[in-house]
Amino acid sequence: MRRAVLPALLLFSVASFAARQPAPQILGLRLGMSYAQAHSRLSEIGQFKSEDEGQQVWTLTHDQRFQYAIIGFDRDHQVRYVTVLARPDGKPVRYAEVGDIAQATRSGGPGNLRYTWKLNDKRARLEYLVIAKGKDQHYLDRYAIKRLGLENEREDRD
Amino acid sequence: MSRYTASSVGRATRFNFQPGIFLALAALCFATLVYAATPSSSTLNPVNGSSASWAGGGIAGATADETTCVDGTDCDVYTITLTGSPANYKGLILAISISHQIKLNDYDLYVHKGDLTGPVIASSTGGIPETGEAVVIDPTVSGTGVYTVHVVDSNVAPGDPYTGVATITTPPTDSLAHGTAPTYANYQSPPGLGDSSGEPSIGANFNSGRIMTQAVFDTLQVTFNTNTSPATATWLLKDGPNTSITTLDPILFTDSHTGRTVVSQLFGTTSLSAFTDNDGETYTVSQGGGIASGVDHQTVGGGPFRLCTADQLLATPVPCAQLAVRGPITQYPHAVYYASQDIGDAAMALSQDGGLTYEAARPMYTLVDCGGLHGHIKVSPSGIVYLPNKSCGNTQGLIVSMDNGLTFTVEPVTGSTPNSSDPSVGIGSKGRVYFGYVAGDGHPHVTVSDDQGRSWHHDLDVGVPFSIRNTVFPEVVAGDNDRASFFFLGTPSAGDATGADTGPTPFNGVWHGYIATTYNGGRTWFTVDATPRDAVQLGVICTQGTTCPNGTRNLLDFNDLTVDKIGRVFAAYTDGCITAACIARGNNSTASHTRLDNDGATKATVIRQSTGLGLFKSQDATPLKP
Repeated sequence: MRRAVLPALLLFSVASFAARQPAPQILGLRLGMSYAQAHSRLSEIGQFKSEDEGQQVWTLTHDQRFQYAIIGFDRDHQVRYVTVLARPDGKPVRYAEVGDIAQATRSGGPGNLRYTWKLNDKRARLEYLVIAKGKDQHYLDRYAIKRLGLENEREDRD
Repeated sequence: MSRYTASSVGRATRFNFQPGIFLALAALCFATLVYAATPSSSTLNPVNGSSASWAGGGIAGATADETTCVDGTDCDVYTITLTGSPANYKGLILAISISHQIKLNDYDLYVHKGDLTGPVIASSTGGIPETGEAVVIDPTVSGTGVYTVHVVDSNVAPGDPYTGVATITTPPTDSLAHGTAPTYANYQSPPGLGDSSGEPSIGANFNSGRIMTQAVFDTLQVTFNTNTSPATATWLLKDGPNTSITTLDPILFTDSHTGRTVVSQLFGTTSLSAFTDNDGETYTVSQGGGIASGVDHQTVGGGPFRLCTADQLLATPVPCAQLAVRGPITQYPHAVYYASQDIGDAAMALSQDGGLTYEAARPMYTLVDCGGLHGHIKVSPSGIVYLPNKSCGNTQGLIVSMDNGLTFTVEPVTGSTPNSSDPSVGIGSKGRVYFGYVAGDGHPHVTVSDDQGRSWHHDLDVGVPFSIRNTVFPEVVAGDNDRASFFFLGTPSAGDATGADTGPTPFNGVWHGYIATTYNGGRTWFTVDATPRDAVQLGVICTQGTTCPNGTRNLLDFNDLTVDKIGRVFAAYTDGCITAACIARGNNSTASHTRLDNDGATKATVIRQSTGLGLFKSQDATPLKP
């Protein structure tokens, strides 16, 4: 029961982003979180699927809206980015549920839309991007948070 | 009842008053009758000698490949049904051939399992001059039931109908490559040029005859003087205005037919990029990449846009119009594509103005589908875009776009296994895909597809002649549809040749550059040691990215391969073993060959084909000279 309530609350926190600044976390996965903390959280909400070059794919088992979480770690084994992919047959998520789209940079066009928020969490001294992308004009296909300000942006460089 | 009558009258009235429509329909029916194979089908039994023949309809036309023909107009269909079970065909094969009279006409033959939407399990696509095509199918492997023979006009003038024959017979026994293997010569860049040349790219400008290559910061123009034999090489530094400043990844791409070379240095979410139409004499600075592209592992490629033929435009106007929207918007006739990977996905962007500007990047796949890192873009003569990937689930994969980079499909390369080196594709003149890859066991493999990656055949380990057990950096280029070359670094030494080499005993092995070449569509390959007296590397070649310890990743992540206008093959590689002492150790079979014995150099070197047949049959009459 507890396992079902917590994700629901976290989902609510995602949904309540509207009209305010998107936080540097998705489904309880926060940028800068340690590898162990992230795995603990991921184990609650999903199952490990695969790993490629330090990036992991998890299948989300309790989420009505997102099917997969992809998570990347930096050299210090802290969360560098989180991307969630919408469930094709799931509850659709509006771009506006991520954050105030009036505050976002819009790029792309019909069939390839992207909203980007560049944000700064001063308390956590964290500069980060929030990106929502999709083919549809209103509903996103994927949603990501990404830490900025690392030595370079290519921690996953080949 | 009255409504039905009125409607019937109405239709009859419209019919009477629009004779043009009637004539068009009549012509269409006539064309269908004329252009259909006769008979249209046959049934064969598992008996040696069971046979059928048909007459082609005298179709005429010109198409880029099977994907651009219109049935009944410039291609036709014949159906064969094999009775019995596959086991009944043990020791037998299905041989299918077509023949015609005029050598300057060019028919191609494709065989699908099932109907035309089924996989192409065999094809024969030779070029002019020819008077026939033939394939062999093993029903014990491909199964019984329906096979659909698709005869396509590659370039056929009216008045030369073909005849087809399908026979159950005994199989040929010879699977060795025949003829003379090509030979190669190595050209090292002069001192001071190309000294830091990890992951080089190479391109051939068909218009100027020059070779362009890039080695990290150095963009080099190479001119071969063929007035002497062996030819001599002149290397000139031709850096772009913004591409020798900083880099996270270098890429050079030359569109051989237009002569445009794009130089790119990765720089965050885009690239610093410029292009030249005169082999580096002058450059135009470009946007660099698609808006919101990924930050890592960029690749640039290009070629013809995918546009409809006149026949296709008549048959399917709506999709043709959609394609045309993504066609050229300037005088530059070809597409340029930029792809890279980022947080959980990889994306590609189209440039409709020759690489000056790009659209916003479009997602190709996510890490759910494939690994993030990918190989390099290749574009077929009919405008199909290909991007290979070393790991898509349990196999390697090929990302394919049939609509100028608007949408993408991920095709598994069945029969392959994932590895840590990026695979490479070469596309033949009629669309055959050669996929060169390193198998999970480290062996160099190449496999072939005639249906845009939906099915694969002739998967071969081309390292067998040299007992290659470890391989890195597979690179492929194709010329004619049945000719291709596959360049790779290989070593016969077993063990962990591509790891971090942190164990108590360093990996011991000598690496050479090998080039395998096929002249028969991938059925057989000549494999040649192209660096026979000069090792490329001693010890490990780490392919684990930035986690590799110092001294193990001097060659970085890839090499490159291209072909010039006359079919001569050129490879660019980084030479890690360049001193006399290192080379001597490499040639001494009893010496130590670990990373501690290696130079760890990064010297730009080009391999040039010296002799043998090139990749264009039309040039065979003029033998290559060293």
